[in-house]
Amino acid sequence: MTILHLLWTFAQLSVLGFGGGKGIIPQMHAEVVGRYHWVTSEQFTQFYTIGKLVPGPTTIFASLVGYAAMPRNPLAGATVAALAMFLPSSAIVVAFDALWQRFSASPWRAIVSRGLAPAVVGLVWSSVATISRGAPKSLVAYAVAGIVTLLMLRTKLDTPLLIVLAGAVGVVALR
Amino acid sequence: MTSDSRAPTLAEIALTFAAISSTAFGGGQKASIRRQVLARGWMDEEHFMDGLEIAQVLPGPNLLNLAIYCGQRVRGIAGAIAAFLGASLPPFVIVLVAGALYFKYAANPYVHGGLRGCAAGALGLTLGNALELTWDQRGTWVRVALVALTALAVSLLKMPLLLVLVIFGGLGIAHEYVRSRA
Repeated sequence: MTILHLLWTFAQLSVLGFGGGKGIIPQMHAEVVGRYHWVTSEQFTQFYTIGKLVPGPTTIFASLVGYAAMPRNPLAGATVAALAMFLPSSAIVVAFDALWQRFSASPWRAIVSRGLAPAVVGLVWSSVATISRGAPKSLVAYAVAGIVTLLMLRTKLDTPLLIVLAGAVGVVALR
Repeated sequence: MTSDSRAPTLAEIALTFAAISSTAFGGGQKASIRRQVLARGWMDEEHFMDGLEIAQVLPGPNLLNLAIYCGQRVRGIAGAIAAFLGASLPPFVIVLVAGALYFKYAANPYVHGGLRGCAAGALGLTLGNALELTWDQRGTWVRVALVALTALAVSLLKMPLLLVLVIFGGLGIAHEYVRSRA
């Protein structure tokens, strides 16, 4: 049963993953933490963090949720979750190719992509709230988060490097 | 090698995107895909820019979508599948290894502390991302209002994602449509 729930949950998120999948975090949390209890809020945030740390799309962390959801067969859980997360959206890209040519010179392309952007950005703000639920709640942690925000906006430092630096502070001060 | 439409092998497609996806840290991968496909003569600039637009407007990770578009361009469905495997398998294997290590060592107090620090860092990055993206929306007050209303509807009212996209995405599209006619 879990395998079907994994499939259905991540396939839905896959086709709704506009804006590169940035907007699906709140819904994913509601499903995998709130509804199915596959992972805790803390694990969810840490999996998301690992997704940002490894190369490739952040949403690959869906496979870690699948891994945790099926403790007796983690590899199957991870594979099903990853396929459900990536296959539907990929199939849409393939199917869309023919259709897209027809709209090639149409102003609708720009209208749709610009029009969806504010909703996606709103969802990213909600993701901040979602991710903070599983992040440590202490002055040190908030300071680390704030400094990383500033470094990200003001310097060209790479994302994984910033996470690793934050981790180094954590080893010392967030045990 | 000629610069116009030399059809690559499926292995070449898969390996090209595997190399890009397994080193895809931070940003700049779009530029590296562009460099690769243009240098290899898989398509011209115009088709690439078309693909970039498709990749960004459709659901799914931009990089994966772009790889699939490129694969399909040069070798049809088989090329799309090769690109999908190339772009998604290395990150999948890497995240699995990370996951196995996580479940083995997460209880260790030092690892636990490190993970909590990393989580705080990821929270900071997401906040920075939200600020940056909001700044991009400052062009009209309607866009900014839609950003705020979406965040409130999701975080306070727990509005489901599909409904959010229909309502606030729909309003956003209507707004851009009206602007384009003005």
